[in-house]
Amino acid sequence: MENIIEVKSLAKVFGNQAALEDVNFNVKKGEIIGFLGPSGSGKTTTIKILTGQLLQTSGDASVFGVKSSALNKGSYRQRIGVLSDNSGLYQRLSIEDNLKLYCDLYHVPRKRMDEVLDLVNLGNEKKKIVSKLSKGMTQRVLLARTLLHEPDLLFLDEPTSALDPANSQQIHEGLRRLNEKGTTIFLTTHDMSEAEALCNRVAFLHKGKIQLLDEPKALRRQFADGTVNVELKNGKVVSLPAGTEGADELYQYMSKNEVVSIHSNEPTLGDIFVQVTGKELLV
Amino acid sequence: MTLSWKRINAILQKDWKDLWKNYFVSSIILLPIVMAVFYGRIMDPTIDLHYMIINLALASVTAFIQCAVIAEEKEKHTLRGLMLSPASVFEILIGKSLVTIILSVITIIVCAYLTGYNPTNIIMVVIALIISMVFYLGIGTILGLISRTIIEASFIIMPVIFLFGFGSVLMGLVEKYPSLSFVEYLPNIQLIEFAYKVEAGAGFGDLWSYLAVITAWAVVGIILSGIVYKKRQLDD
Repeated sequence: MENIIEVKSLAKVFGNQAALEDVNFNVKKGEIIGFLGPSGSGKTTTIKILTGQLLQTSGDASVFGVKSSALNKGSYRQRIGVLSDNSGLYQRLSIEDNLKLYCDLYHVPRKRMDEVLDLVNLGNEKKKIVSKLSKGMTQRVLLARTLLHEPDLLFLDEPTSALDPANSQQIHEGLRRLNEKGTTIFLTTHDMSEAEALCNRVAFLHKGKIQLLDEPKALRRQFADGTVNVELKNGKVVSLPAGTEGADELYQYMSKNEVVSIHSNEPTLGDIFVQVTGKELLV
Repeated sequence: MTLSWKRINAILQKDWKDLWKNYFVSSIILLPIVMAVFYGRIMDPTIDLHYMIINLALASVTAFIQCAVIAEEKEKHTLRGLMLSPASVFEILIGKSLVTIILSVITIIVCAYLTGYNPTNIIMVVIALIISMVFYLGIGTILGLISRTIIEASFIIMPVIFLFGFGSVLMGLVEKYPSLSFVEYLPNIQLIEFAYKVEAGAGFGDLWSYLAVITAWAVVGIILSGIVYKKRQLDD
């Protein structure tokens, strides 16, 4: 499958501070890739370079075969959607007026407004003035605006950070449907469950470098330590190591019919992140 | 280069609705109108007075509103949304200038009516005013783009309002301080001298040099606003 994004040896330096260092990755058409990392790890800088808002210090980045230095062209903008923490809405106008503007900017029929508002569960709220909306509703309007023109490639920078779990889940379902229709999604998040739920591949970004990049399942397999937790009839839970020692102990419990349940100790993406970077994945 | 009227009109419609709900910015049009009412009633206005009010309208309405609406777009992060859309720099800047132009034209017409200004050669005066307006749009755009907030914009526009709105006052100081002689070439002063010549019955042959100076200011304003806009497209 063709690569939509190709990044080679990308680096960005602000003053003396390296925001990105030797970053390499490709994104295939139809993929959902997640960039995971704490604040300041380089996630937003990567998105800004890939959307033509920032020029790299060195290295190459191209999207749809267009070099990053030429990403400010209208034909490229028509194919992408960007939702970031510095996206804004016109506070004195209604949701409808905000979306009408973007329908016309992208030459999209205005009936599309209703489709995207339904997608973010705001179908009955379009007359509301934006300044009266909660943070979560504002975030959903921004997402609706980003989806208006059905972009081929969607950049989402912490898309559900302001949303409650129910709304986050609804947005995830919407994004999955969009992805099934062929939209490639580049997502940054510090929410491991969001990454697990949505992403085909995840990259761990720390101090401007990609520490790991693979499918979540493959990462869990790679970092699994083989231990199991055994719940016993006396209420205790014991953790058994991999290898003959653990197997023997398990055999003892089983032969005495003391076992209630056995669970594998699969690491979460959060555990792996800590293991690789030595840091918690904090906001 | 092709321009999409649909995009330009969308920005115009949005700005029109938004501006009338923004009393802080839209109320500025009252400043030249109140002055026109005041001076129109108490004295028989001279060209200097007509153009003090017209220049004030250009500086306070054209430059200030343009500056304020762009600064607010920056402050509220909505300008980034426009920049990331397929709309070109020209479509965005033309769209964002149209509301300012409409309000400026209305304000100048109302002020001219209130002070009883009836130029001898209206076509030449309109040409000079259109070129002047382009300059003030340019300077408003530049200041709006370099401001971080609407409050900051309303501060940094003050010297512009003073220099170009009341700049004719500086002319009185030129004889005493020759270093201020550059003031003669300011677009507002050129506009006043242009208007005097028009009233004296001058033709295009006598007027072109004034138009050329004002046009030079306008061209510099447009080029600089384009450069600053391009720079602001990047977060570097």
